[in-house]
Amino acid sequence: MTESLLLTSWWVPFYGLAGAVLTLPWATVGVRSGGPRPAAYFNMLMTVLALVHGLTLLPAVWGRLPLQLEYTWLETQGMRLALELEVSPVTIGAVVVIAFLSLCAQIYALGYMEKDWALARFFALLGFFEGAICGLAMSNNLLLSYALLEMLTLSTYLLVGFWYAQPLVVTAARDAFLTKRVGDLLLLMGVVVLANLAPSLNFQDLAIWAETANLSPLSATLLGLALIAGPIGKCAQIPLHFWLDEAMEGPNPASIMRNSLVVACGAYVLIKMQPVLALSPWVLGALLVVGTATAIGASCVALAQIDIKRALSHSTSAYLGLVFVAVGLEQNEVALLLLLTHAVAKALLFMSVGAVILITSTQDVTEMGGLWSRLPATTTAFVVGGAASVSLLPLGTFWASIYASERLWPWAPWAIGVLLLVNGLTALNLTRVYCRVFLGPRQAKTRRAPEIAWPMSVPMLSLSIINILSPVILHELGLLTSVEGPVPTWVFGGSLVASSLAGCLVGWWITHEKLPTAWVHASFAQTWRVAHDFLAYDLYIERFYRQTIVVWVAGTSSLMAKFDRHLVDGVVNMIGVATIAGGEGLKRSAPGQAQAYLLTILLGVIVVCAYQLTTMLR
Amino acid sequence: MLSLLVWLPILGAAVVGFWPAGAPAVWPRRIALSVASVGLALSAVLAFLYNPADGGLQFREFVPWMTSLGLSYELGIDGLSLPLLLLNAFLVWIAIFSSDENVQRPRLYYGLLLLLCGGVVGAFATQNALLFFLFYELELIPLYLLIAIWGGPRRNYAATKFLLYTAISGIMILAAFFGLAGLAGIANYSYETLAVHNLPLATQFLLLGAVLVAFGIKIPLVPFHTWLPDAHVEASTPVSLLLAGVLLKLGTYGLLRFGLGFFPEAWSAAAPWLASWAVVSVLYGCMTAIAQKDMKKMVAYSSIGHMGYILLAAAAATPLSLLGAVAQMVSHGLISGLLFLLVGVVYKKTGTRDIDVLCGLLAPERGLPFIGSLMILAVMASAGIPSMVGFVAEFIIFRASYAVFPVQTLLCILGTGLTAVYLLILINRAFFGRLPAQFANLPQVRWSERLPGLAIALLVVFLGLQPQWLVRWSEATTAALVAGRPALAGALPAQAERIDTVAVRRAHTP
Repeated sequence: MTESLLLTSWWVPFYGLAGAVLTLPWATVGVRSGGPRPAAYFNMLMTVLALVHGLTLLPAVWGRLPLQLEYTWLETQGMRLALELEVSPVTIGAVVVIAFLSLCAQIYALGYMEKDWALARFFALLGFFEGAICGLAMSNNLLLSYALLEMLTLSTYLLVGFWYAQPLVVTAARDAFLTKRVGDLLLLMGVVVLANLAPSLNFQDLAIWAETANLSPLSATLLGLALIAGPIGKCAQIPLHFWLDEAMEGPNPASIMRNSLVVACGAYVLIKMQPVLALSPWVLGALLVVGTATAIGASCVALAQIDIKRALSHSTSAYLGLVFVAVGLEQNEVALLLLLTHAVAKALLFMSVGAVILITSTQDVTEMGGLWSRLPATTTAFVVGGAASVSLLPLGTFWASIYASERLWPWAPWAIGVLLLVNGLTALNLTRVYCRVFLGPRQAKTRRAPEIAWPMSVPMLSLSIINILSPVILHELGLLTSVEGPVPTWVFGGSLVASSLAGCLVGWWITHEKLPTAWVHASFAQTWRVAHDFLAYDLYIERFYRQTIVVWVAGTSSLMAKFDRHLVDGVVNMIGVATIAGGEGLKRSAPGQAQAYLLTILLGVIVVCAYQLTTMLR
Repeated sequence: MLSLLVWLPILGAAVVGFWPAGAPAVWPRRIALSVASVGLALSAVLAFLYNPADGGLQFREFVPWMTSLGLSYELGIDGLSLPLLLLNAFLVWIAIFSSDENVQRPRLYYGLLLLLCGGVVGAFATQNALLFFLFYELELIPLYLLIAIWGGPRRNYAATKFLLYTAISGIMILAAFFGLAGLAGIANYSYETLAVHNLPLATQFLLLGAVLVAFGIKIPLVPFHTWLPDAHVEASTPVSLLLAGVLLKLGTYGLLRFGLGFFPEAWSAAAPWLASWAVVSVLYGCMTAIAQKDMKKMVAYSSIGHMGYILLAAAAATPLSLLGAVAQMVSHGLISGLLFLLVGVVYKKTGTRDIDVLCGLLAPERGLPFIGSLMILAVMASAGIPSMVGFVAEFIIFRASYAVFPVQTLLCILGTGLTAVYLLILINRAFFGRLPAQFANLPQVRWSERLPGLAIALLVVFLGLQPQWLVRWSEATTAALVAGRPALAGALPAQAERIDTVAVRRAHTP
């Protein structure tokens, strides 16, 4: 019974896909019967099926050895490409989380996108999204993971570009696709190289191969760097991070999924590839550098944002930076736990933020204020989500951070410092946003603010409850085992709470003391302005790319087009013109007079004779 | 069976061409469509009867014709030609179906399309070099007329350019064949006899050079490519579709069949240069495409880029890479055909192909949402997004070629990134954004205009999900094509190994 149940586990990724396919008649051809709603219901039904299937699988797979499912996709000329899935507690657990969050996001979308004419298209994309993420969670093969990452890139492009009539959305979609594509392309190079080196692309086989692989340090480093480029793009890490910020122009239900699940997918693949990456210490070092830089840099950038969604999306990058650090230190359990707690908390935060945006019709925090009494459910969700994403109350991230501290301390004590800093800065950022949006005086856009409708509040409140219960769930599942170390656990806990409190206090202070403008001394103002702009414009990274790579590609391509048009084609046309001109010229030599022909013949004979004579004389 | 496939379209062309002028104009279209349908069905039957396990020639037909010249009527197909025959039958059907119903001079138009089809089938199915040349030239005439009569404003320029280029290509082919037969003292132009020779390497290089230039024009490879963008821009949509989808494949087919098949030693020696040439072609095509404003030109340059991958695979010349080359031929045929078809619909509805003018075509009520969705699919397939056929073919090529030419392969992978850049520009400019007032009342797209695109798109996705169907026909043949030869290019095979090659090839041919 259990066996046959487990053998059906490959259905799970197909539910989302089936939902997307069922939606297509409404999404593309323009079937109008029943409005776009039936499409949404089909998708939600499929997600419920995925959730139920996942929940029935979970007890069956709990405590068992991982089961491998394999389907030969293409086998020819000594090349075998298989689609392999792993059914283990981790993968099925991930699937359950994904299906649950996806269901929440879909119910939420019913409310958020209520009046949108393209609801069906949106749900088709969400279904595709969900299927690809589920597949990625279960995938046990690098090629399959790569393929699914690319499909996520595609669906991100379409979801970000959902409201394609707005110019900002169009550029955001383009940037999202191209930056991720840069990462994916390097990843593809890595996959192609690995396919030639390793016997198979199965993750277990890769790990076994990596133990005995005999690669030169240079090639191992290059290979590893190519492989981590994909996750760097997907997880919005420096230097490929700015797409996530721009992607906030897209519809909010997709942002919920993107900030909690999609970014996690990249890190998940990274964790799976870790044995290969460990071939080169330089690659692990690169992971640490990238992770640390993003964790601190993105936390600071988040502070300078006035767009409510962007402020939160940068903190997503920051937490994923911590995950990168954990993977770089070869602490995969830490990375997974951080991903899980972050996903659940960030999804809730984005739900709350979406409600605020829907009601106030703006994303600018300076135009908001005083919403707490008008929107109790939304405020609750923000507070719970915020508390769950920093180590203030003993919620998910608190325990995950302690778990991380205990395991990272023996390897890299400095990583604890990064963790504390990110924690403090995020607390500061969240408090700042909270004070601006929910406290303070009401403004024009927040005066009429009715609480949101049930399709949005129900998933929001259920997720709040899950967040509050998260420590219990984590303990019940036995995920929070403690290790004995030289430093007692309460020290970590205490310093984490202290850093959060400090962040909250500073956040409260700067929003209430009319800071920073009043506090900043006039002589210091200039420097402050420069630093602020540097952070507000996201380290000027987009401008940097626009003025280097984009200019270079555009310049080279237009130069080559001119070269092609004028030189390559010009030579061809010149030959043509020369031929015609030659023909025209020769035409003049045939005037029709016998004398002229005789003269030509005579000249020819003379030339031939002269040639004969010279050769004979010689 | 094969003869039927070759002569049916030509016969159909005659019937359509000499149809009474007074009869209703719909008849030529109906006849052409039914001939194409029968051709498609026959090809399907052929595929069904074909034995994929046998890499040699099947369905052979032999009628002595002018034996003193070495020219015989010899037909036969193997795993290299069968996928291309299927592709051709499918795309010809699509091209005829998507032709404008009110086309001027319908009898001539459909007659020429069928004649073109017959020529292409003949070229793929023949096993005699001189007969190949005849069919190769036969295909040239209808295409010239199709561009020159039903083309855009600069059609005469484009058609003449095409004619001159392809005529030079034909002459070079003929010269190579004569040279090979004359120098090796072979009196029979059958492929099998031509492949067995012991010419010195220098002579082989010379002849291979002629073959490379000849088919380099047809494929086209940089710098012999400038006829292609002009021809595509001026040709009408169905002709563009056939040109990109099928006729360019004659070039790569010839490269594999004659370049690699007749001159294996010279090919191995030249392989590193060919791979570098492929890189130049890929990057040049992609970079130039980025700067284009005309959608058709952009897709035409993208063709140059995509056909470069085939040269890379052919240069690597391992069983797997050649399989990838065949897969890429089919994949490019389908995807570029789809792209040209959709661009054609956009042009027909809006009257322009300029991406600086077009905007917001994805708009649901008054725009072209269905065509836009298909376009996004086609673009993503072309950029090599997995789950579509482009990814499968390119991955096989990269996977196989990396073993032989690592640097060139990695550079070619860059090309897929650049492909994404220009195709994204196309989507973002033409399909995203707000629909301007000038396009506010576009004519309705009818189902008959959507159907061909939908059919190709379904095939693109199907083969992308079930790639075994893409490669099963050719596995045995591509293995036989390089059997016995060392996989590593660059190293000259010793004489003994060459004899092995011949022996193995003989063993595989009944």
